[in-house]
Order: sequence, then C-alpha cells, then structure tokens
Amino acid sequence: MDILQLLTYASGVIFVVFFARKLLKYWTMPMHVRWELYPVPHEGKEWGGSFYEDVDHWKKTRHVDHVAQYRFMVPEILFIRALYEDNRPLWRWTFPFHLGLYLSIGGLVFLAIGALLQIAGRAPDASGLAALAQSLTIIFGVIGFALGTIGAVGLIVKRLTDPMLKDYTSGLDLLNLFWLGAIFVTGFLVWLSDPGFAVSRGYLASLLTFSPGPSLGGMQIINLLLFIGFWAYFPFTHMTHMISKYFMWDKVKWDDMPNRGDAGMDSKIKAYLSYPVSWSGAHIGAEGGKKSWAEVATTNPWAQPQKEEK
Amino acid sequence: MRPEEISKPGERLEYLDPKKLAPLPPPYDDLEEEPITELTEEQKKKWEHSLDGVSALNLPRPETKEEEDKLVLAFLRGYEKLVSKENNWAFLQPLSLSLEYCARCQTCADACPVYEMSGHKDIYRPTFRSDVLRKIGKKYLSPGGKILAGFRGHDIDLKWETIARLAELAYRCTLCRRCTQVCPIGVDNGLITHELRKIFSMEMGIAPMEVHEKGSVKHLQFGSSTGMIKAAIEDIIEYLEDDIEEKTGKRIKIPVNKKGAEILLVHNAGEFMAWPENPMAFAVLFDAAGISYTLSTEFVGYDAVNYGLWYDDVQFARVAIKHLEVARDLGVKKIVIGECGHAHKALSVIADRLLPSEQMIPRESSYALLWDIVKSGKIKFDPNKNDFPVTLHDPCNVVRLMGVVKPQREILKAITPPGRFREMTPHGVNNYCCGGGSGFAIMGSGNFPEWRVKLSGRKKLTQYLNAFQGEMDPSIKKMICAPCSNCKGMTRDLMEHYEIFEKTGIWYTGLVELMVNAMVDQEKPFITWPDEDEDM
Repeated sequence: MDILQLLTYASGVIFVVFFARKLLKYWTMPMHVRWELYPVPHEGKEWGGSFYEDVDHWKKTRHVDHVAQYRFMVPEILFIRALYEDNRPLWRWTFPFHLGLYLSIGGLVFLAIGALLQIAGRAPDASGLAALAQSLTIIFGVIGFALGTIGAVGLIVKRLTDPMLKDYTSGLDLLNLFWLGAIFVTGFLVWLSDPGFAVSRGYLASLLTFSPGPSLGGMQIINLLLFIGFWAYFPFTHMTHMISKYFMWDKVKWDDMPNRGDAGMDSKIKAYLSYPVSWSGAHIGAEGGKKSWAEVATTNPWAQPQKEEK
Repeated sequence: MRPEEISKPGERLEYLDPKKLAPLPPPYDDLEEEPITELTEEQKKKWEHSLDGVSALNLPRPETKEEEDKLVLAFLRGYEKLVSKENNWAFLQPLSLSLEYCARCQTCADACPVYEMSGHKDIYRPTFRSDVLRKIGKKYLSPGGKILAGFRGHDIDLKWETIARLAELAYRCTLCRRCTQVCPIGVDNGLITHELRKIFSMEMGIAPMEVHEKGSVKHLQFGSSTGMIKAAIEDIIEYLEDDIEEKTGKRIKIPVNKKGAEILLVHNAGEFMAWPENPMAFAVLFDAAGISYTLSTEFVGYDAVNYGLWYDDVQFARVAIKHLEVARDLGVKKIVIGECGHAHKALSVIADRLLPSEQMIPRESSYALLWDIVKSGKIKFDPNKNDFPVTLHDPCNVVRLMGVVKPQREILKAITPPGRFREMTPHGVNNYCCGGGSGFAIMGSGNFPEWRVKLSGRKKLTQYLNAFQGEMDPSIKKMICAPCSNCKGMTRDLMEHYEIFEKTGIWYTGLVELMVNAMVDQEKPFITWPDEDEDM
C-alpha cells in the first residue's frame, strides 16, 4: 500500500467522521419553536395557505401533501430554482457549477461500479455491463468536468467583478472555487491521457481490495491529491450547505407540526423548560443560572395589585 | 461597504440623501422630500447615532473606556449564551444553521424593502448585519478565530462603535422575512436580526423604550401595554356599547368574563383607544351571528399584544402564558385573535411549543371565523354599501408567517361589488411589510419615526398608490383594508406624513368595519371618511 492510497483512505475517513459529526450536531439540537414560512408546499394550497385558514383546525385530520413537497423540492435541488427566479445573473454560473459537481459525482459512482465489476472479473472489453459503466463514467465525468470548470471560472470572475459580491468575497471563498475548478480541469486532463479512465478504475479497485494500485501518471497524481485534499477539507466548510438546505427548509421553514398532544413533543418541551437560564438582563431574574425556564417564564417581576398609572 | 467597515471611526457610517431614495408613484413622483431631521446637538451628545444619524434606541454613550470595554464583553457573553442550548433552545437550530451557511450570494438584498427603498444603502442589506454578527463570532468566539482572519473573511474589530451600530442596526429590519423566502439555502437573516435583539435585551438590558419599558413591562405591570388597567377597560367596554347603539341603533351587551363561553376574543388593546370601531364591529358581527364568546378584563387578558415576540424570549413567554391562563380560567374552548398580526403569530405559532399540550388552548384567527360567518349566511351583506375601490394589505405575521391568506380575500369579495376589490402587487405570502413591523409602528423616539415613514414604510406606500393608479382624484374615495393594529398604526403615520387622504382620497380601515358597513340591516354607514369625521 503506497502513500497515495493511505492518504485517500485517511481523507475518506475524515470526510465520513466529520460530515457525520456535523449532521449529528444539527440533528441532536433541541426542537425549536415553530418558525415556519409560507408557502409551505406540503400544505397543498397553491396560494400559500395553511391549516390556520380553517375554523376549528385542530379538530380536523391534518393533511400533508408529500407530492406537492416533492414537486417543489426536486426542481429546487436539481436546477436551483430559487436562484433561477430571484438571482438569474448568478444562476447562470452557479447552475453549471453545481450540475458539474452532480455529474462528476455521478461519474465517480459509475467508476466505482466499474471497479467492482473489474474486481468481479468483468472488464469493459469483455462485459456489456462493464462497458456501459465505463461509457457512463466518461459521459458523466467529462460533461461534469467541463460544466464545473465553466461554472467555477464564471463564479470566480463574478465574485471579483460584481460590486454586490466583491465586498462579501473573502480570499478563502476564492480559494475554494479555485480548488474545485482545479479538480475539474485536472480531471478533464486525466481523461485526455486516459480516455477510458482505466487507470483510475484500477486505482479505485485497488482501494476496494486493499491491494497495491497501478502506477499513476503525473496528472492523475495531481488530480488525486487535489481531490482527496478537498474531500477531507470539505466537512469543515460552509460548502456543506446541503445540510442547511435540508434542515432550514424541511425542519424549519416547513415545520408546521402543531402541538396536539404528541407525547414526544410534550416530553421535549418539559425537558427544555427545566433548562437553567443564565441571561444577565436584570428583568430576566435568572439569578445566574439558578432559575429554570419554567421559573423565569412564570415569574412576573412587576406583579403588584393593580393601580392607576402615574 | 464591507461589513468590517461597521467598526471604522467616524461620526456617521451612512448619510441618507432623500434624492437617492427610491421614487414614489404619482402623485408623489415629483415630491421633493426633506432630509431626515438631524438629532439636536444635545441628543447627539447623549445618544449613539453613528450608524445613519438616526436613534431608535436612545442608547447612551459610555463615558469611559472601561464602560465601553464592559459593554463589549457583555455582548460577547450574550453571544455565547445565544448559541447555547440551555439559554436558547427555542431558536438554536435555525440560528446556528443561518450563522454557518450563508453563501453571501446577495439574492436576499433585492427582496428587502428597506434596502431597495433606501436607494440600495449597504448598511440595510440583509446580509450586512448578519455578516457582522458572523464575523464577530468567528473571530472572537471560535477557537483559532484570529488566525488568518483577513484571508478567511472575518477580520472585524470589536469595539464600542461596532456594538453600538449593531444595536441600532438590529432596529432597521422589520423581521418581515422576505429575505428568507428567496434564500436558496434557507438562511434566515430575519431570524438573525431577531436573535441579535435578544443579546441586547436579555443580556445587556438594551431595547427600545416603547417596546420594553413602555411595552412588555407595562403589560405585565398594569395588564396592558397601553397602561390601561382593569377598571379602565371595563369603562371603555361600556362606552363601546353606547357607541354601538349610536352607530347602529341597536343596544348590544358585550359579554365580559363570561364563564363557559365558547370563545375568548382577544383584541390588541390599542384598538380600544385608537380605533374603537374595530372592537365595536366585532361585537356587532358576533352578536348578529349568535357567536358564544366573551372578552376578558382580567390581568393581561384584555390585551392580545406580545411585544416579547420582537426582542426577548422571556418577556414573550411571560405574556403568552398569561394569555393561556386567562383562557383556561374562563373555560373557553378556543381563543380567537382579533385584528392584530403579531398577536396572531405570537399566540398561534410561536407559543405552540412553549408549553406541554395539556396546558394549551386552541387558538384561531378571527379571519377564519369571520369567513365562516359570511359563508354561514347568518348575516346578510349588501356589497353595494361598500361601493368604492378597496385594496387589501397582508400583515406579514398573519400571511407569510402563518399562512392565513384566503379568508380575508373571500370576505372582501363577498362584501364589495364586483370589480371594486383589487390586489396589490405582489400580495399574499409575497407581500411587503407595512413598514411598522417588529415594533417599528410604536417606536417614536428621536428621529426614528421619520426614518420609518421615509424608508421602512416607503415600499408599502408605493404599493398603496400603485393599487389605485388611474383613480387618484381625491374626490374618488378609496379604501385600504389593513386588518392588523400595527399595520394600521403605520398606515396612519404614512397618511399623516404624506397627507395621503387629502391628496389622493385613499383612507384605511380594518376588515370587520367593512363587514359591518355592508350589513343589510345597518342603516347608517359604519365607516367614516376623514372629511366626514369632525374628530379627525
């Protein structure tokens, strides 16, 4: 096992551990109070309405329209519809960039399938299935690299020249785009030197079987180093915004689950009300964490027999 | 302007030139507006105003460097609490996600009416204040935050100016959350502003006087943010009965503290004082429809407002719990919320996960119940009695933040002649805030009211005017239906400042007033126009 293989494994482990840790961090946060924002697609009312439009809504069976939610979400994930509608000049670059990413990841998946088939003794020149996996690797990979490169370059130029974006762009933002752009460009160059991705597939097969890998060319090594470096770095960045997209849309903006006697919700609320409060504002009366939420919320510091205001 | 520049020395970060503000539609298209009145020299000495020359908070300047440092430290301490589970369980998840994930794409900027109407002033950009908070957190509260801070994009100086300007900036956003609607990642800059206000109030004791001392504190001290005590509200309700008789010819007994009634109807207490026709109209409609309801004159029960919603979770919880207690004591089956937008959201949505379900009482929007009354046919309406152009303002708290969109529209269509009701553009869940949201409508210190009518209310004014273009002759009377007390307050201020009725014939009212006006057995018009009202 060579140093590149070790680094690839290490990168994968770092990615899995820290990405999972990030997911877990948000997953285990306390249930928030309701903070939904309409339209909420699963309400199934195209005008953006909610169950609050009905009299005695709590007596009615709650209807959740999952199809309406998917109808909204799929174009949003695939085509970044919100940006298309509200910020078209940026969408022109960020859409090819993201589509390039999706396709490149798709290419990697087909490369992995090809590697598994290779391990099973089915090479592309002897197996229709393996040949299909190879063809799809090439199609997804090459189109992905091209679109990703176009998007990354476009975004770098836009961030450097658009007065709205310039003031909000850091050196790190540019480095991130440059880094991803470099992965796309070198990926494309790898394809030029290895049109069937045979070496890459062999390398991936070696990783899956923990066996020595094939000899890699210079461009392949550069592409691999750029990729595994980014893979390990990615969980620590705000580029993991797919996490936010899931939680902020599905668990915040669309979380209109009412409190109607759900035992789990009740037990959470009771636990939260017992949390100590340490806010220092004099009116809070938290006594430095000695009082719980239930105590401060049920204490009225201004309670007095009613009298005329002076 | 980069967010880091919030810390730069100088008397003022931004100057507001009235010529640069977004133009208004006719007949105000050639209006030459005065600049916002400067604070007096004495006020300038006393109050922090270095953001934009406006003081909403009347924040006193610290006298010594030690005091400044103490405030900076208090801010950081509060920030730490804001991102702790114990102190902020209620908003920790959406706040953490919003702080961590902004891609700074600026898509939100054009959705913000304040940013747009200011002539695109950077300090009002939704990401500006959020990014200042992010950068402070990253540099001063994250491990290794000062390493390569410039390259990582968060090299911000934290000093008194930063904190003071940020405090004022927390009150240049109406929390309408249009910015959140358009964010492709779901980042909630409105929430960040809300949370920022919490650091100032809950840790540092800094909040607008009208919202805290004269608002939620009064509410918990006297029973109403208006300062009105039980005896006063009881008197007012009696007067309302007299006024109803005068206006409708019918003597109605308004039920008060009636145990066993099905509904507790709660109004914004400001209605009793500023727009008594509104609770009167509710009484007329509920009586005519045979609704079993009661008002409360018990402590806090006669004022539906909950100002804590805008700036302080503890104040919010204290008032919401009182509202629920009053309803439980009366034994009602549900609470119906009158025409008050933030009371809708506070009690229906935010308070929903405040207490375990066994302590909750169902809450309902009056809009839904009113539409039910119309549909029931229990009251006969003659749309021709509302034979004037009408448009509808959507209160953010009821519409975008709660999803009550259709009932009020259906009611208006039922009580106006065909073609008289017209929508604003945009409307419904994409509406624009009246400009008085999140407490602005009641904040009257320093030169803030001028900022409010010239900036935060400017987009709504534009919408009001655009809704009636082609009918601007002041002799054609036109009506804005604004079914929310704060929105009405803001609209009233716009009316006064721009002399809208005099110049255009546009006036405003609530939804129930228009309903009573259309009742078949209502002999005299219930609605009065300013030129008919001697008290105006």
